[in-house]
Amino acid sequence: MSVNLASARISRGLPQAAVACVAVVALAFLLPGEGYYLNILMQAATYAIAVSGLVVVLGYCGQISIAQAAFFGIGAYGVGIGMVDFGIGFFPAMLLGVAAAGLSGLLLGLGSLRLGGHYLAMVTISFQQILTLFLTNWISFTHGPDGIRGIPRPSLMGVSFASGHAFLALCLVFLVLSTLTIWRLKTGRLGRAMQAVRDNELAAGTCGINVFSTKVIAFGISAVMGGIGGALFAGGFQYISPDQFSFSESIVLLTMALLGGVQSPFGSLVGTMVLVILPEWLRFLQQIYLAVYGAAVILIMVFLPDGLWGLMLSRVIRRAKPIEGSVEPLPLLSERAAASNDYVLKVEGLAKHFGGVKALDGVDLAVRRGTVHALIGPNGSGKSTFINVVTGLYRPTAGKVTFTGQDITHAQPHERNRAGLARTFQNIRVFRGMTVLDNVMVGAERPGNDIAENPAAVVERALAALDFVDLRGDAHRQVGALSYGHQRYVEIARALASSPQTLLLDEPAAGLNLTEKHELGELLKRLGGHGLTILIIDHDMNLVEQVADHITVLNFGRRIADGTPSAVLANPDVVAAYLGEPRHEAA
Amino acid sequence: MATFLQLLFTGLGIGAIYALVALGFVLLIRAASVVNFAQGQFSMVGAYLLVVGFNVLGLPYYLSMFLSVVLMAGFGVLFAGATYWPLRHRGGLPVIISTIGASIFLENIVLFLYGPSPEVLPGLFDSPGIQVGPVFMDSQYLSILVASTILVILQYLIFEKTLLGKKLQATSQDKEMASLLGIPVVAMILITFGYSAALGGLAGMLVAPVLFVSVGMGGLIALKAFAANIIGGYGSIPGAILGGLLLGVAETLGASYISVPYKDAFAFAMLLMFLMVRPQGLFGEKISEKA
Amino acid sequence: MIISRRTALLGTLAAATPLRFARADDTIKIGGIVPLTGPAAEAGKFMQNGAKMALDAINAKGGVLGKKMEWVIEDDATTNPGAVLGFSRLVSRGDCVAYTSSVRSTQVNAMAPDALKAGKPVMFGGTDPSTTHQGNPWLFRCRPNDSFSARVIADYAVNTLKKTKVALVHSTDAFGTGGMNALVATLEKMNLKPVLVQGYTNQQADFTPVVLAVKSAEPDVIASYFTFENDLGIFARQLRQLGVTAPWVGSPSIISTTALNLAGRSLFGTFGIADYTPDASPEAKAYNAEYVSRYKVNPDNQSTWVYDALNLLAVAINTAKSTDAVAIQTALRGINGYKGTEGTYRYDANGDGVRGYNVVKNENGKIVFDKRVEFES
Repeated sequence: MSVNLASARISRGLPQAAVACVAVVALAFLLPGEGYYLNILMQAATYAIAVSGLVVVLGYCGQISIAQAAFFGIGAYGVGIGMVDFGIGFFPAMLLGVAAAGLSGLLLGLGSLRLGGHYLAMVTISFQQILTLFLTNWISFTHGPDGIRGIPRPSLMGVSFASGHAFLALCLVFLVLSTLTIWRLKTGRLGRAMQAVRDNELAAGTCGINVFSTKVIAFGISAVMGGIGGALFAGGFQYISPDQFSFSESIVLLTMALLGGVQSPFGSLVGTMVLVILPEWLRFLQQIYLAVYGAAVILIMVFLPDGLWGLMLSRVIRRAKPIEGSVEPLPLLSERAAASNDYVLKVEGLAKHFGGVKALDGVDLAVRRGTVHALIGPNGSGKSTFINVVTGLYRPTAGKVTFTGQDITHAQPHERNRAGLARTFQNIRVFRGMTVLDNVMVGAERPGNDIAENPAAVVERALAALDFVDLRGDAHRQVGALSYGHQRYVEIARALASSPQTLLLDEPAAGLNLTEKHELGELLKRLGGHGLTILIIDHDMNLVEQVADHITVLNFGRRIADGTPSAVLANPDVVAAYLGEPRHEAA
Repeated sequence: MATFLQLLFTGLGIGAIYALVALGFVLLIRAASVVNFAQGQFSMVGAYLLVVGFNVLGLPYYLSMFLSVVLMAGFGVLFAGATYWPLRHRGGLPVIISTIGASIFLENIVLFLYGPSPEVLPGLFDSPGIQVGPVFMDSQYLSILVASTILVILQYLIFEKTLLGKKLQATSQDKEMASLLGIPVVAMILITFGYSAALGGLAGMLVAPVLFVSVGMGGLIALKAFAANIIGGYGSIPGAILGGLLLGVAETLGASYISVPYKDAFAFAMLLMFLMVRPQGLFGEKISEKA
Repeated sequence: MIISRRTALLGTLAAATPLRFARADDTIKIGGIVPLTGPAAEAGKFMQNGAKMALDAINAKGGVLGKKMEWVIEDDATTNPGAVLGFSRLVSRGDCVAYTSSVRSTQVNAMAPDALKAGKPVMFGGTDPSTTHQGNPWLFRCRPNDSFSARVIADYAVNTLKKTKVALVHSTDAFGTGGMNALVATLEKMNLKPVLVQGYTNQQADFTPVVLAVKSAEPDVIASYFTFENDLGIFARQLRQLGVTAPWVGSPSIISTTALNLAGRSLFGTFGIADYTPDASPEAKAYNAEYVSRYKVNPDNQSTWVYDALNLLAVAINTAKSTDAVAIQTALRGINGYKGTEGTYRYDANGDGVRGYNVVKNENGKIVFDKRVEFES
């Protein structure tokens, strides 16, 4: 057993975190004097914690939040109000503030994240404005526009954090812990799920990821990080007022994240440091500073999509070493299921109407275990609609879908995947921002998969799937850099790694050249030979004839034939409806 | 009752401003799927152009207005080149952020050139307004209401009755299909940016006599206009107009009968409410993504 | 490319390092934070102009303790964190004997904890009354605080204009809320209750709801605390359009050049209070003349308080014959009757020096000095 990547990942963080904590505490106490350096570092550290939250929601999960200063403010006011008005200790007050921030994040997320990205942007802006109004106008609770002054600093277990050095040390320890946590998050299961959602929501759903709750969790984490940063800010500066948590501050925090790079908390840390120092640097610009700042945001988006950190990484990074060592082959290849009369997928009377158009009009279809079932039909016959209804992307107008005995007619896409239904897409939907290995790991760790809870086994399973499609050598490449045909294989490997009960292939030959088509045919034959249940949709008759055990033909949303390949292909209706078309594709 | 009517008139006037700016938003959403956070700054830049033409260069009022609108159209194309074009293949998020960057840039470059003191522009009419029964109708609000009505009709005629309009519509509905039909999609998108900027600029010039010309004049209006957009139905033209009017009336009434300091909260609370209960807005279609 | 970037970064760090090994002190340094960037950058210019005039005057008369006085400044970016950072940069220089702070109360409040730690006198221009009541012995105000503005407005409305039904309109920001509280308290002492207290949030597009509230309260005098001139301008226009004609006494923004420009006729006949107005005293008159001849624009209170602050510090240091912080602090507290551009300074234990305002009238767009209202305490 030579693949121990994942277990290494798990133990790796702890000693580093301890060393980093000791280092920053030492740094904090070695700084000269009380004033400037302490303040600037305290500001940078507390901001950086809040900005690292944006890495999660924006960088990992691809959702735009423009209210980070609001969550920062909630955390700060938690400490301010808790300590000054209610006389509770710093840490309980901090807990309250962070909880309030996290809770409002969750509520906002629950309300808006079902919808597209710009809705969250809008909702967060609204939340930001309303919060500012409340902080300003609800004077009896928030102290109003004058703000809260005289916020004391804490002591914990006999250690006083009253001095600037000690409190800075506390902030830096929090910063180290949050940075490492968020860095580790990215390579974990949840982090991969977030990135999958970012890169392709639909595909993520069909890979067993609950898209909505993943987004809500990402936004919640982001709000919590904002709250932690804000709580420490209140303790550090001992005075807070509403204008410190306004819309424009949210923009500043967003820019910090973007400048440094939203793909890594180290990036956000760099971005925060730069933008805290930048005013000093750009001082000669004086009044035009903010204009330069705005222009810089555009330039960063255009020329530095991965931020400063991405730029630094691209200069120093070496190609990751290929992963050596053999792994157990995919289980589906070893436990060959005999073709049986046991139906895995059963579709009865399925209908889907778009307005007046009947894309599907009462289709019946049953897939037996261990067979390769093909669904064919001319363009516009309803094939793609069929697969989209079966995988839960469209709601059926009527009919029933049963999978392994469960009624899944109204289940969410991720619920169907958990039951063992995996699919590929006609227009390839891979997670373009992730590596080949991470793409396939998303498949391997679908909830319900036998090895999903064991990180080391997930890596092995993913490698086994890559072995099957012969892409192990590309494991560490960005999937977007692969050829079209290889991206298709990544998609298939992702589905295979999830050990599906049934694999749905939506026009897998679409867009492939002749050689690639030939390879695909071989691959499908191998899969079929091993007894995996496959429902393949295509109009490439050559491919279908090679691999199918059973064929169903659709035309104008209705089933016109069903049976063995030889019987179906001899059916005059099929010849008329389908084979009457030029067969150049099959040539 | 007199109070109510007065509030209603004012609300409609303010709402018409939101509607005008919201209209600019909608066009870009439809043509290029761009959520332009610098739409409010279009209004601000437009108003400052009018200040330069009329107050500084001393050109006639309507001539400076016309020139400003033309300049704004050109500015819209430039804007597209800087913020939209290089990022058009990278999804919606980078463009949103670069328009946020553009809004910061525009506000501060104008602040640098013009300073923070607001400028004054005269209204379209010399008379401050007319008294109709118990209601005082501010002449500038009247002009805004009339101008927005004309613009909406004009826009309808252009979009529905001219070839250019049909091409613009085709582009907004399906870019691939449009380009297969030989429609120059790039030109159509640039025209939309130009038109949207001109519209935004014109809105700025119309509200200038009411709000004065200041660097921050566009920001809050644009936020409300965007809220109007979602309330009316994301990407819907009648929705933007009705949403704007509704928002203007609701917040004016809310301010008067509930609380003045929380006035801005009504718009955003209404937005949140719509998002939770009816996210497709008044006129929007069901939100779904194609597989 | 990489090297140039690294060099630039090192350059940044170097720039951020205080010059500890500079030549021996041949000047006495006062640190100051100034808005060089952000929305108040324009006001920052006025501050610097006023300071330059003060320094020239002080140094022409022989400086302080035989040395020239110097004012070293840091940007506050018009934000609270910026003010805190700017101030702590000044403190970490280690060579400033006293400081000037901001005209914005929240900025002063934000840096107050650091001022306490620094333990040197900090002169400031914010008018929030509570700033000098938080037990910080190092803060010295160089303008009258808002409790006096409220007393002057109340005094003028009730005793001079002989009105009793006061409608109060105020911004809900720190300045407006502070003024509102002070005015309500002052009226209470006169056994009066305002017929309306109406707050609004800054930067509104429309004031019809506010105006209608004022109208239906049927006041015989309006008092106001407006922060931004564009809000004031819109309110003034709509107030007149909807037929409210009651006399109106406003906080200083009502007589600013910008407000006069924006609101035009709508403000004719209104009264305003001003901590600085050219005709209020010989000192103010002289200051105005020199400022205009130097900078070709009219000065405002952004420049006068800094001018007074530096002059007061010069007087205090010369009196103390030392740059020791406690000595300067004691000398400042001993100042009694110093005539500055903002009025006559008599510092109390809290750090409040000036106790009065000027009332001026807008006569067809011209600001005319009406009277000065001073209080003993």
